Amino acid sequence: MKRRDFMKTSVLAALATAASSGFNLAMAQGNGIFTLAYPTSFPDLDPATSFSNDGAVLANAYEGLTRYISATETEPSRIEPLLAQSWEVSEDGLTWTFKLREGVTFHDGEALTAAAVKGSIERTRQIGGGASFIWSPVVSIEAPDAMTVVFVLSEPQPLDLIASAGFAAWIQSPASLSQDNAWFNAGNDAGTGPFRIVRYEPGQRLVMERVEGYWGNVPEGAFQTVAFEIVEDVTLIQNMLESGQADWGYSVPFENLDLMKENPDLKVVVNPSFETLFGLYNTKRAPLDNPKVRLALSMAFPYDDVIMAGTAGLGTRAKGVVPTGIWGHDADAPIPPTDLEAAAAILAEEGVSGLELVMTYSTTQEISALAGELWKANLETLGVTLTLQPMAWEAQWQMAKSDPASAQDIFVMYWWPTYVTPHDYLLSLFRSEDEPLFNLGYYSNPKFDEVLDEAARLSGVDRPKAEEMFIEAQRIVVEDAAAVFMLDRPNVHIIRSDIKGYTDNPAYGHVTFVGDMSR
Amino acid sequence: MNIIRYILRRMVLSAFVVVGVTFLVFTVAQVVPSDPAALYAGPRPSAEQIAKARVELNLDAPLPTRFLTFASAMATGDFGVSYKSRRLILEDLKAYLPATLELAVFSTAIALLFGVPLGVMAAARQGRWFDRLASLSAIASVAMPTFFLAMLLQLIFSQWLGVMPLSGRTSREVGITDPVAQVTGFLLIDSLLAGRPAAFGNAMLHLILPALTLASYPAGVAMRLTRSAMIEILQRRHITAARALGLSQRRILFGHALPNAMGPALTVIGLSFAFALTGAVLVEIIFAWPGLGRYVSEAILAKDFPVIAAVTMVVTICYVVMNLIIDVAQALVDPRVALT
Repeated sequence: MKRRDFMKTSVLAALATAASSGFNLAMAQGNGIFTLAYPTSFPDLDPATSFSNDGAVLANAYEGLTRYISATETEPSRIEPLLAQSWEVSEDGLTWTFKLREGVTFHDGEALTAAAVKGSIERTRQIGGGASFIWSPVVSIEAPDAMTVVFVLSEPQPLDLIASAGFAAWIQSPASLSQDNAWFNAGNDAGTGPFRIVRYEPGQRLVMERVEGYWGNVPEGAFQTVAFEIVEDVTLIQNMLESGQADWGYSVPFENLDLMKENPDLKVVVNPSFETLFGLYNTKRAPLDNPKVRLALSMAFPYDDVIMAGTAGLGTRAKGVVPTGIWGHDADAPIPPTDLEAAAAILAEEGVSGLELVMTYSTTQEISALAGELWKANLETLGVTLTLQPMAWEAQWQMAKSDPASAQDIFVMYWWPTYVTPHDYLLSLFRSEDEPLFNLGYYSNPKFDEVLDEAARLSGVDRPKAEEMFIEAQRIVVEDAAAVFMLDRPNVHIIRSDIKGYTDNPAYGHVTFVGDMSR
Repeated sequence: MNIIRYILRRMVLSAFVVVGVTFLVFTVAQVVPSDPAALYAGPRPSAEQIAKARVELNLDAPLPTRFLTFASAMATGDFGVSYKSRRLILEDLKAYLPATLELAVFSTAIALLFGVPLGVMAAARQGRWFDRLASLSAIASVAMPTFFLAMLLQLIFSQWLGVMPLSGRTSREVGITDPVAQVTGFLLIDSLLAGRPAAFGNAMLHLILPALTLASYPAGVAMRLTRSAMIEILQRRHITAARALGLSQRRILFGHALPNAMGPALTVIGLSFAFALTGAVLVEIIFAWPGLGRYVSEAILAKDFPVIAAVTMVVTICYVVMNLIIDVAQALVDPRVALT
């Protein structure tokens, strides 16, 4: 054989070997591996401080005392026992007693005890990072016996809901309490969940393995391994899903979903999310300090067009800031429709003309850009000039916090709850603030503050009454047109059709509870 | 003697560049409208958390004090923690830098191995079909946008032919279930150290498409530069003399003409190597390659200043060292350079 022929044959043989060895479906689905194509990395794997996408990993390695199950069309929302088997609250709503589940062990072999629960929450509070503020009403945590934890609060708060949070509420083993952030971020974990973290390769992948002797249900054909492949390119995510190299993914552009729906190997799962998009009006600057002017601007917003063009019709019309599926959602909120004629009449009545406004939004939010463009076109017909200013989130936030007089006119952002309560949305975005933090429309209404505070107090003792009052508070914000409520974002996840036991839970963002799933 | 003085002079100048960049990086961080304390405190911090972070980061100290702290930390390689993730940046660099270096070395090798010989052969056959074809290919490889080439290669070799992996550094059975123990961070080296030829082959296959994409531009430029330099050299008298002496065409081209024509191509390829360290963001994103480009692009979007500073310093040093190597290599090849 000539040298050239030998080389040719070698190259062909190498290519053939590569082809037969895989990069294909059979290989991807082997070995009980569940692969998630995840578009972001996991910045912080410390259960005490994690406050980002890392929840997707931690929710499979750690567990909290309770878990929130969102409302569906047929069933109302509920709070399920997880590490706590039962709980009760004192009449004044200040003392919460949780009975722990027996027979649960941490991944390091230690048993779940009241001391571990107390230690975990105290570590979170002591570090004070991430979402640790959810525990701010807690005055003391006691462990009267090995399986009982008692929380004493400074004010009535729904501790069963707080304990279900996807951040800062994870319970970790006592041996890990003295570990620092670096230990967790090196890929170590200390939870009770169905999987343990075995390896984290930043920017590339995170691998988890099933824990033997997990206390919960393990379905037949359960996955042994979970692999998060970190893939930023949305086209690549789509390719991986179609070729079977990934079992689950999201962030695929809405316009590509129809094609994916036609693929029998894939299932496109669409559900409401708890993320809502809105624009806060700068209520400190004329003429936006006039609720009627704000109402007119909101009536010029093309709600249906934005939902259609921005989310392929999958989003839903926002009814205030509390999205559907969360208790306290106001399905009958008197939100204004798109009505350019009525808007023009209001502006004329208020003597407003030649208005020039600046709307800021984060550069990463494509829907905000689209919403801005469509709104701008409508506003132009009313003689209002809207300047769109995309900014890095940091810069946008910084500008808004500095001085309301020189800040933006409309601040567009998403909000999602730290734990599932309407209070989180209303307190952060509309409660009066001396120094602006997230109330970036600088809205202030003593009546609203009063109703909201009372609703918050009642949420620990009388939730149905609290819900009524949260709705009342929202009505005040809606009537004051403090914001333009653009849309509730849909959660769109794509999974391989042969996956069983998959459910979306919007309370936990883009979290997949792989422990309940099988192929 | 001249050459030693030349090298020393270049080294002193390089040190000035590094100090200058340190100052610049610090200054830019002060001007950018962002609040490091708010960023450090987390995605949705309370006012107390921001105040606490301000104290922790010593942000209220006077500017000169902060600059000195920053400069001395940079000098000792103590890059601190990322504002966004609070991970040690040095640990992150250990993970991301080898992946990028592996890609950069491999793509530079491809650029050299294709670009230079093609340029030589095109010059030797000036005006003939081979020259035209090679020149056309070079122009196409320079003109084609990286992201387009990357997607084209994926489409052809991964999706249609199925002979190359779509993305990543290794396939799943290596990466997930049977990973190679990390010693150097360079997968090719680590898999050889572990005595695993299959893992080596797997890593090599994953490297081919991103490296080809990244090599496309420098290979095209190197080909064009080598070709034009060679055409000029081949008309010189010593080449005519070599021909008259009956030396073989191969010896004339590669032994006598090429060393004189390598200069510009070497410069381009050297700089492309340094550029590949952070300039390969698109390639890294499309091929899900866990490299420095992706790391820093995330940091830029998040205004994660310590990460940006650390990567800027690392890349500056790589650039400076690469420049120095090229300068010295050229001075060694062509002593006239050292006299200027």
